[in-house]
Amino acid sequence: MADKPKVGIFGLTGCAGDQLQILNCEDELVWLAENLDIVDWVMAKGENDHITRLDIAFVEGVVATQRDLDALKAIRARAKILVGIGTCAVWGGLPAMQNELSREVLQREVYGADPSFLDSVEALPPSKFVPFELLIPGCPIEKHEFLQAVRALLLGTVPELPKVPVCWECKTRENLCRVVYFGEVCCGAMTRGGCGARCPSHGVACAGCRGPVEEPNYDSNIIMFADRGISWVDIAQKMKNFSAPVWLAKGLAKEVGHER
Amino acid sequence: MSGRTVVIPHLGRVEGHGGIFVRIEGNRVTQVEMDIFEGSRYYEALLKGKHFQEVQGIITRICAICSASHTVTALQALEEALGVKVSERVHDLRGLLLLGATIESHALHVFALALPDFLGYESVLAMASQYREEVVQALRLKQLGNKIQDLIGGRAVHPVNTLVGGFGKLPRHRELEALAAELEQALPVLDRFVDLAASIPLPQVKPGPTVYVALRPYVEAFRFRGVSLCTSRGEEYPLSAYREVIREFTVEHSHAKHAALEEGTTYMVGSLARLKLWGHYLTGRAKAAFQRLLPDPKDDNPLLNNWAQLVELVHSVERALEICHELLGQPEEPRDLVDYQVRAGRGIGAIEVPRGTLFHEYELDEAGRVVAANVITPTAQNLANLERDLRAGAEAVLVAGNGLSDKELKLRLEMVARAYDPCISCSVHLVRS
Repeated sequence: MADKPKVGIFGLTGCAGDQLQILNCEDELVWLAENLDIVDWVMAKGENDHITRLDIAFVEGVVATQRDLDALKAIRARAKILVGIGTCAVWGGLPAMQNELSREVLQREVYGADPSFLDSVEALPPSKFVPFELLIPGCPIEKHEFLQAVRALLLGTVPELPKVPVCWECKTRENLCRVVYFGEVCCGAMTRGGCGARCPSHGVACAGCRGPVEEPNYDSNIIMFADRGISWVDIAQKMKNFSAPVWLAKGLAKEVGHER
Repeated sequence: MSGRTVVIPHLGRVEGHGGIFVRIEGNRVTQVEMDIFEGSRYYEALLKGKHFQEVQGIITRICAICSASHTVTALQALEEALGVKVSERVHDLRGLLLLGATIESHALHVFALALPDFLGYESVLAMASQYREEVVQALRLKQLGNKIQDLIGGRAVHPVNTLVGGFGKLPRHRELEALAAELEQALPVLDRFVDLAASIPLPQVKPGPTVYVALRPYVEAFRFRGVSLCTSRGEEYPLSAYREVIREFTVEHSHAKHAALEEGTTYMVGSLARLKLWGHYLTGRAKAAFQRLLPDPKDDNPLLNNWAQLVELVHSVERALEICHELLGQPEEPRDLVDYQVRAGRGIGAIEVPRGTLFHEYELDEAGRVVAANVITPTAQNLANLERDLRAGAEAVLVAGNGLSDKELKLRLEMVARAYDPCISCSVHLVRS
C-alpha cells in the first residue's frame, strides 16, 4: 500500500477488550498512528468519519442486536480487508454460551416483566454473517499477534499465526500437566495456542478462551477427563464456556440430563 | 417558540456504545437522554449452574477495562459465601492489583479520553503532534498500571492468576523490586501532570448540590476496600442493605438500568465522590494534588471528576509503592492459596473501583454452584445523575449566549458525559435473578 492505509476499528457488543489491547500497545501506539490513517475509531477518537472507504477494518464483539448486524454489514461494504479480532468475533465467545435459551427468558430474568424496548437477538459471531479476510482469536487478543498482523497487512501479506494447541506451548514451558497431575478439566489440548500457555503457567487450567484448534479431538478429551472421575456436569460446564461448539455443548447438556 | 434538538448519535472516547439526545425550547432544556444501545449479554443466565471456581473467569469479561475490578469484587463475594478467610498477603496483592487497574484506567481516561477536549484536540493521537512528550509519558503511566496487573493478575486484561482463596502464583522479589523502581520514577512525572491540570481552567457546570456515595474504608486511610456504604448527607448503611439503599429501575431509552436512592435522589459515585467523603485521609503528594486541584469542598462541578482521578492516580502510585515495600519485607513464596470446604451460602462483595462502588452478590448451593447472582456497576448508578448534569451543562451554555452553535453545545455535553468516565459495557450487563 503506497499511501497510509485508511483504517477503522469497531466494536459490536462485547467487553471492548480487544480494542483495549490495541490501546495497550503503549510502546507502539504512536508508531501505529504514524503508519495507519485511523479515520474511524469511536472508542479513541472524538471526530470520526463513518463513510470513507477503508483499506482495513478491525471488528470485535458479537452480533447481539439488529443494530450490530446493520453496523457489521456497513463495515463489510466499505472495507477491502476485514479483520475479526477476539474470540467473540471468531467464535461467539462467552455471550454465545447460552444460545439454547430464548431471548425472552433471558430478558425476563435480567430486566423484569415487559422489556419490549430491548433490541436483542441470539448472540452470534460476526464471522457467521459476512466473510472475513483474517481472524485473530483471543480473549482478549494478544498484543504481539495484533502487531504482527498490522505489519503483515502493511506489507501487503497476511500473518502466519500459530495453529498449535495451548497444550503444545504448555509442554515447551515444562509446566506440570493440570489433567495428569491435578485431575482438572484443562482445555489446553482443544484450544488454539498463541498465548504461551499463560494460565497453566500460573498454575491454573486452560479455560479455552482462544477458541478451538483446527480439528479438536473432543471425544478423547472428554474420555480423558471422565476417566479421572470428573462428572459429566463439570466437564460440560467447563467446555461450554469457550471450547466446545454449540452442538457439542447441547450434546453434553443432554448427557447431563440423562445422568440426572 | 421554535425548538432545537441536539443529537450525538454515537459518543466517542468512552467505553461502549451510547448517544446523547437533548431537546431545547427557547432557553430551556426540555428533554435529556443518555441512550445506551450496547447489546445485552445476560451474564446471570451464563452464571446460573456454573461452579463457583468458574465465576471469576466469566464475570471478568463483563468489561475489559474493569476486568480486575470485577475479579476482585467477585472473589470477595464468593469467599464470603464459602466462609473462606484469605491471608493478609492476599489482601495486599489484590489491593495492588486494583491499584494497577486504577492507574491504567485513570491514565487512559484522564489523558487519552478527557484531556484532548481541554487542549482542543479530537483525540490523543492528534494531540501527539504538539504534545508528543506528554503523550509518551501518559502512555507510560498507563503501561505501568498494565504491568502491575500483568505481574499480579497474570494478564493485563481479564486476569487468570486470581483464585478463590488466593493466587496461583506469587510475584518474585526481584519482580517487585523492578516494579518499585518504576513506580518511584512515575512520581515526578505525575507532578508535572498535576501542574498541567492546574493550568487548565475548567468550564463551569453547576448542577446544584450533588449527593456523593462511597464505601467507608476498612481502616482510617484512603483505601478502596470498604466496610459500609456512606453518603455525603451523613447516612451510613451496612453493605448487606445495598439493595434497599440503591433502587434500580428500567428506562425505555437505555439498555442499562438506572439507579437512585430510596426517595428518588440521584447520586454520584467514583473518584470525585471518594475525595468528597474521604479526601482528608490522603497523604503525601496525593494530598498536595488534592488541595491544589480541588480546593473548594462545595464545588459540585462534575468536570472535577477528571482532576479527582488524577489525584487518585498519584495516590495509587504512592500506595502501590508502599505495598511493594511491605511485600518485600516478607519471605518469598511461590503460591498463597488457603484450603477450604465447599458449602452453601450467600455473599456480598463491595469495592471502590475506578468508576465508583461496585457490588457483586452470589448465592451458592451445597455443591458450590451458582443459584443466583447480582451485580450493580458504578456506571449504572451514575447514569441518572449524569442525565441531570447534562441538563445543567446544556443550560449553562444557553445562558452564556444564544449564538452558540450546535457544535459548541455538543462539545460541552460530551465533556460532561466523559467526565463521568462511563463504562457502558458494564452498565448494560447488570445481572439479577
